[in-house]
Amino acid sequence: MSVSATSRTPLAGRITAAFEDRLRNVPVLIVLGAIWLFFDTRSDAYLSSQNLTNLVLQIVTTAILALGIVFVLLVGEIDLSSAILSGVCATVVANYAVTSGWNLYAALAVGVLLGMVAMLVQALIIVFGVPSLIVTLGGMVVFQGLLLVVLPPEFTVNVGGTDYAKIASEHLPTSLSFVLAVLILIAYAGSRWRDIIGSRSDRTWALVSIGVIGVAVLGGVTVLTRGNGLPFPVLILGVMLIVASYATTSTRYGVHLYAVGGDRDAAQRAGIPVYRMVLYSFLILGACAAIAGVVDASRQLAVSNSSGGGPLMLNAIAAAVVGGTSLFGGRGSVWSALLGALVIGSINNGVQLLGYSPEVQFFATGGVLVVAVAMDVVITRGSLWPRRA
Amino acid sequence: MSPVAHGTVDPQGGPGSVEPPILRLAGVSKHFGGVRALHEVDLELRTGEVVALVGDNGAGKSTLVKIIAGVERPDGGEIHVDEQEVKLDTPRAATGVGIHTVYQDLSLCDNLDAVKNLFLGQERTTGWWRGRAVRRGAMEEQAKAVLDSMSVRLRSFTTPVGGLSGGQRQGIAICRALVSDPRIVMLDEPTAALGITQRAEVLDLILRLKEQRRSVLVISHDLKDVQHVADRVVVLRLGTKVAEFSRGRYTSSELVAAITGAHEGVA
Repeated sequence: MSVSATSRTPLAGRITAAFEDRLRNVPVLIVLGAIWLFFDTRSDAYLSSQNLTNLVLQIVTTAILALGIVFVLLVGEIDLSSAILSGVCATVVANYAVTSGWNLYAALAVGVLLGMVAMLVQALIIVFGVPSLIVTLGGMVVFQGLLLVVLPPEFTVNVGGTDYAKIASEHLPTSLSFVLAVLILIAYAGSRWRDIIGSRSDRTWALVSIGVIGVAVLGGVTVLTRGNGLPFPVLILGVMLIVASYATTSTRYGVHLYAVGGDRDAAQRAGIPVYRMVLYSFLILGACAAIAGVVDASRQLAVSNSSGGGPLMLNAIAAAVVGGTSLFGGRGSVWSALLGALVIGSINNGVQLLGYSPEVQFFATGGVLVVAVAMDVVITRGSLWPRRA
Repeated sequence: MSPVAHGTVDPQGGPGSVEPPILRLAGVSKHFGGVRALHEVDLELRTGEVVALVGDNGAGKSTLVKIIAGVERPDGGEIHVDEQEVKLDTPRAATGVGIHTVYQDLSLCDNLDAVKNLFLGQERTTGWWRGRAVRRGAMEEQAKAVLDSMSVRLRSFTTPVGGLSGGQRQGIAICRALVSDPRIVMLDEPTAALGITQRAEVLDLILRLKEQRRSVLVISHDLKDVQHVADRVVVLRLGTKVAEFSRGRYTSSELVAAITGAHEGVA
C-alpha cells in the first residue's frame, strides 16, 4: 500500500483514532484490571476461581441482555423495555414448561418468539417515526402490566427441581470444555489466516490478537471448570457472543449494521434497507431478552413479579456503554456487552464480598458509567477538549 | 473496465445515424406538498456523453438527481434505460440498471473503513451458508486497483474514513462510483468544496470517465467547469427545463440568461 508522508495527523488525533479503531476495548480492560487489583489487595478470596466463577454466573443475565442492547445501540436507537420483557418471557416459559408440563424446548421456543414479537411491535412504531426512548419507555410500563397478566394469582412460579432449573445448574464436562475452547481458537486463527500469511502490518496485529484471545479463552475455561465443569449459562453466553461477533465483523449484515449506525442517509443511498436493519436489531434484542430472562429465572429457581425488575435494565445499558459501545450509533463491538457487564459485576461482587455498605456499590457503578461515556465523547469528537463555540 | 479502448473506430457509425439514448426521461414531474419541484422535464443522455445540469438554487436539480438515483419517486413521467421503461424505486434498482451517483456530501459512512465504504451496498460475499460473509481479500484487491487507477493514496485500508483528509474522502466517493463498473455516473456538485488542484483532478476524472465510454451527468454551479467538460448543457429553472445548449454553440451570457430568466424580461 502506498504510504503518504504528507497526510500526518497530530499525535493526539492519532491516539484517539487508534482507540476508536483497534484499541477500542483497551480502556475498559484497564478499568477492569484496576477494579480487580483493588479488590485483590483487600481480599484474597476475590480472585479465587470459586469467586470468579460466581462472578461470571452473576453477570450472565446482564451480559446477554447487554448483547441485545448493543445491536440496538449500534443502529443508533435505545431500549428501556427489554429487562421487564425478559421477565415476561421467563414467566411464559415457566407457565408452559412447569405449570402445563410442556416439553421445555417447545416452551423456550414460545418464549423467544414472544420476545421477538413484542420487540417487533415496538420497532415498527419506532420505524414509523416515534423516538425509541419514548416507545420503549411506554413499552416498559406496558410489559410491567403484562407481567402481572401472565403470572398466576399467587404472583410466583417455582421452577426448582424441574428441567427448567437445569438450564443454570448443568455443566459441560471439563475435558469437553477444553476441546471446545481449542476448536474455537483454531477457527478464529483460521479466520485471521489471510492476515497472518500477509506481509502487511496487519500480521503483527493478527498474531497479537490471537495470542491475547488464546490466553483469555484458555485461562477463562481453566478457572471456570475448577468445579464440575463449564456452567451452562456461561456456555450459552459464550456461544451467543461468538455467533454475534462473527455476524457483526465478518458478514454483509455486520457491515450494513455499522453503516446504518454511522450515517443513515449514506446507508440509504448505498441501497441498504435501513428500516429493515433497525427491525433486525430489535428482533435480536427480543430473542436476547427472552434467553436472559430464562437463564435468570433458572438461576433464581423461580419467576415472580420482580423478574426482570430492579437494576437489571440500567445495568445492561450501562454494561454496553461502559464496554465501549457508543450511544450515538455505529461504534462498539459485541464484546463490550461482556466486558461492561464484567466491570459492573466485579464492583458489585467485590462490595458484597468485603461487606461494604451498599451505597458504595451505587457510587462506584454510577461513577464508572459517567467516566465511560465521557471517554466515548472524547473518542467520538476526536479531541480531548471541547471545540470552542 | 470498459471493453471499448480509447482511439478505436468511432462507434457513432456513418453520418446521420443517431445512437439511441442510454437514459431518457420523459415528462418527469415531482411535487412536495403544494410545491412544484419538477414539471414535465425531458432529458436524454447518450453513451460517452457528458451532460451538465445547471440552474439556480431551487431549480430542481437535486430533486432530479434523487429521482434518477432512485431515492425519490417521480409523481409522473417515464424513465427509460436502453429504450426500456424502468421503475427506479430504490437506490438498488438504479444501481441495477447501471446508474451510480456521487453525492455532494459524499455519502460516506465515517465509522467504516475505505474498503467497506467503496463496496457499501454491493459487497462481494460468499454464499448464504456462511451467513453471506464478506470476501475481504477480493474486495481489498479491487479497491486497490480502483484507487490506484484514480491516483488516490491511502495510508491504511482499515482506518475509518472519518479520519481521512477531504481530498482522500472525495477520492473514495468517486472511486466508489467505479466499483460497480456503471454505464452512467451522476456527479452532484463534485467541485463545490474543493481547492484549485483537486478541482482540476475531478474535471480530469470526468473526462477519463468519458474516455471509458461512460455517460456522465454532472450537476454544477460553476459555469466555467461546465463549459470545460460538458458536451451539452441542460438548464433548469423553477422545476422546468428552459434551455439546452450544445458545446460551442452558446456563450456564457446566453447560459447565464437562461439560468436567471433574464431573457424573459424583454417580452
